[in-house]
Amino acid sequence: MDYAPAEATTGTGTLPPTPLKILIAGGFGVGKTTMVHTLSEIPPLNTEQEMTELSEGVDDLSAVPDKRTTTVAMDFGRLTVDDSLILYLFGTPGQSRFWFMWDELAAGAVGAVVLVDLRRVDDCFAAIDYFENRGLPFVIAINDFPGTERFDARVVRDALVLKPEVPLMWTDARDGRSGLAALISLVEHALARVAA
Amino acid sequence: MDDHLGPDGSAGGRVVPVYALTRGRTRSSGRDMPIESLVSVTEHGQRSVASLDIEYRRIVELGRRVVSLVEIAFALRVPVGVARVLVSDLAGCGHLVIHAPPPLEANGGPSQELLGRLLDGLRAR
Ligand SMILES: Nc1nc2c(ncn2[C@@H]2O[C@H](COP(=O)(O)OP(=O)(O)O)[C@@H](O)[C@H]2O)c(=O)[nH]1
Ligand SMILES: [Mg+2]
Repeated sequence: MDYAPAEATTGTGTLPPTPLKILIAGGFGVGKTTMVHTLSEIPPLNTEQEMTELSEGVDDLSAVPDKRTTTVAMDFGRLTVDDSLILYLFGTPGQSRFWFMWDELAAGAVGAVVLVDLRRVDDCFAAIDYFENRGLPFVIAINDFPGTERFDARVVRDALVLKPEVPLMWTDARDGRSGLAALISLVEHALARVAA
Repeated sequence: MDDHLGPDGSAGGRVVPVYALTRGRTRSSGRDMPIESLVSVTEHGQRSVASLDIEYRRIVELGRRVVSLVEIAFALRVPVGVARVLVSDLAGCGHLVIHAPPPLEANGGPSQELLGRLLDGLRAR
């Protein structure tokens, strides 16, 4: 039987297949899963699974087959950008005990969208501190939940102690255009920093 | 029924648990193969697919479309560290190519050129 050649190895472009990644961060219930699923072209079926720690050694597993390993729910999405460029989205749990995972995800990343629920701003501080310390570009996306008081952007910036250059926007994670606008803002921000 | 072969052509015997395939190997290539690394199948891999152990075969089948390490891990429901070992095995005997990750700027991020292409692509959506 003849197999079709792999698409991207013989694609129209001469550019090699290249992955890029963006992190979607924020506290529990802030809309990470929703945003990744709304933006992703792969069906949501497989995109959130309990996964054993990314770097977990298999030695432990084979030694103790029924050992319960730490599992984390990581959202995962994919957008084909052009012939050779694929963007991966990773929705990462905001708690600091998952920093081991963030390190691996953040390495080489374009940057992060930090989702914020203004009713629970404290939840996003760990993420903001982490990306600031790492020097990773990030934007703040305020998800508008019903019953949230309408604050002025300046008030929100003060509350989050944002540097003036950090983009801030209001989004709806359930709306693809809105999520896309957040990604575009992040890439513009990252570009401005590379160009500077 | 058939005996399946390991990716190096050695007799693999019956379908074995994926952890047995990795034989405890892990971590070795974490730095060289980030989780978003892309792989695709080679012609040799396509020809050999039927002879492979089930987990290897599934990876080679997934690789007919360019696919990332993390997608492979999700599809096989194994930790990324395990998928990394299996992918290394397959690449080592020429069934898969691992596409080199893009070179990074001094600030640790992607190049201006790549970010520009990403921006164009996102804006065109
Ligand atoms: N009104 C509103 N609801 C949202 C938004 N994003 C998520 N939700 C809802 O909030 C709940 C939690 O979202 P989820 O994506 O699971 O949060 P996660 O824990 O960060 O992954 C779900 O019921 C969503 O439908 C948003 O932008 N606006
Ligand atoms: Mg979630």
